[in-house]
Amino acid sequence: MAAKSPLLQLDHVSRRLGGREVLHDVSFSLQREDVLGLLGANGAGKSTTLSIVAGVLQPDAGSVRVENRVVNDDFRAIRDRIGWVPESVPLWPELTVIEALVACGSLRGLPKSARRLACERELARLDLQDVAHRLCGQLSLGQKRRVGLAQALLHEPDLLVLDEPGNGLDPVQTAQLRELIGKLKAGRGIILSSHELTEVEATCNRVVILQDGRVCHDAPLDGQRGRLDAQFRTIACQSASVVA
Amino acid sequence: MSAFTVARIDLKRLAVRPFAWTLAGIALAMMAWQFLLGVSAFMHAPPAVPGAASGPGFTDTVVAPYLLNYIQLCLVIAPLITMQALAGERGAQRLALLTVSGASGAHIVFGKFIARLVFLWLLLIVVATLPLVLAHAAHPDWGQFAAALIASALCVAALTAIGIACSAFTPEPALAATAALLIGEGLSLIDAGVRITGGDAGWLGYLALHTHLAPAMRGLVRSEDIVYFLLIVALALALAIRRMGAERERG
Repeated sequence: MAAKSPLLQLDHVSRRLGGREVLHDVSFSLQREDVLGLLGANGAGKSTTLSIVAGVLQPDAGSVRVENRVVNDDFRAIRDRIGWVPESVPLWPELTVIEALVACGSLRGLPKSARRLACERELARLDLQDVAHRLCGQLSLGQKRRVGLAQALLHEPDLLVLDEPGNGLDPVQTAQLRELIGKLKAGRGIILSSHELTEVEATCNRVVILQDGRVCHDAPLDGQRGRLDAQFRTIACQSASVVA
Repeated sequence: MSAFTVARIDLKRLAVRPFAWTLAGIALAMMAWQFLLGVSAFMHAPPAVPGAASGPGFTDTVVAPYLLNYIQLCLVIAPLITMQALAGERGAQRLALLTVSGASGAHIVFGKFIARLVFLWLLLIVVATLPLVLAHAAHPDWGQFAAALIASALCVAALTAIGIACSAFTPEPALAATAALLIGEGLSLIDAGVRITGGDAGWLGYLALHTHLAPAMRGLVRSEDIVYFLLIVALALALAIRRMGAERERG
């Protein structure tokens, strides 16, 4: 029987930015229902990798495939299968939460009735009903992150790309986010970046460690989940400024 | 469809921004002052000599210079209202959000252009209503008035497109506004020297905004003038779309 094809496959991806090679020969894959943690120090290339996966940047070399379709060749079709939340959540501060969600649904080409239903579903799922009519610019960081997630989930993507989702959240919000990620992985793949081992331990079942734009470790977390072995910790700690 | 969605989002955002309202308020106050000065000059002009051909009327003396003043004002307003259209959005990753949400570079550029153009055209409509207030008493030449209005609308579209293109090419809104202002002023003043000395400006004259506004202000809508303004719009938007397309490669 043929092996199941991965939801996401990066093959030998390289990318230069500002004259510097930010990613070099990066390859890894992600299966459906996997939560992959991309771990590395600041400047290791995590955000660039996620931007390439989301289709915001093009790789200089290599390819990114979502269910065997190359993102760059078929970006218009594939972007409907990807939900992306960058580190600094891009919201329109002058719009209310519901207006922003409706606008995103409209850009996604959702019909009016489906758009309304999708917005109500995401408001409920992310516990945003109370702030639905508040301006996005007036929200707290945790609420902004949830609105960003709602925007990314409106079209029920197969692949969710989260850049540093736990950054700046308080312990309660972090716990809520972990619980949410656990629920969201059903039926889809999630890739998230972090520079905190504990966050990756708590939410992911696989980890890829990036160091200076190269993959220096790629393996599943052990069965007990929440225990990175000594080898992982050594590699992670070698990456300068990684929080162990 | 995405272009109109982008335009709708931007219009909503403009509508709640104090910056846009302040700009509109200042522009309208300045235009009202210009209009009062024009009307005052018209009222105090010496009466035409009996028997001579009738002199310039209300439209020539008040409306045409008044609309030309609005164009001059738009040389400043258009860069200010367009500077953040793309330059300011890039840093906040909102352009990336539009891209991954399904809007192409062309949709984004057209949407941003339409939103700013609607704002400046609405301002033009409000500006144009002032002469209409006196229409009953001043009997304007409606043909000339309409020609001047069409040329003004097209010129505003050209200045808006230039602003959008500058915003696409520069990372900083202030830089975009400066570049758009310089290009607009350049097009406005390119033949100024020849105009003052009364010589033939040649191809420089063709590039100048004044060459294509003056006939319309006299009531003459020429196809070459319409083509000139549409060419500027098309060229500027094409450059902006091209720059947006390269965004994913450049990062």
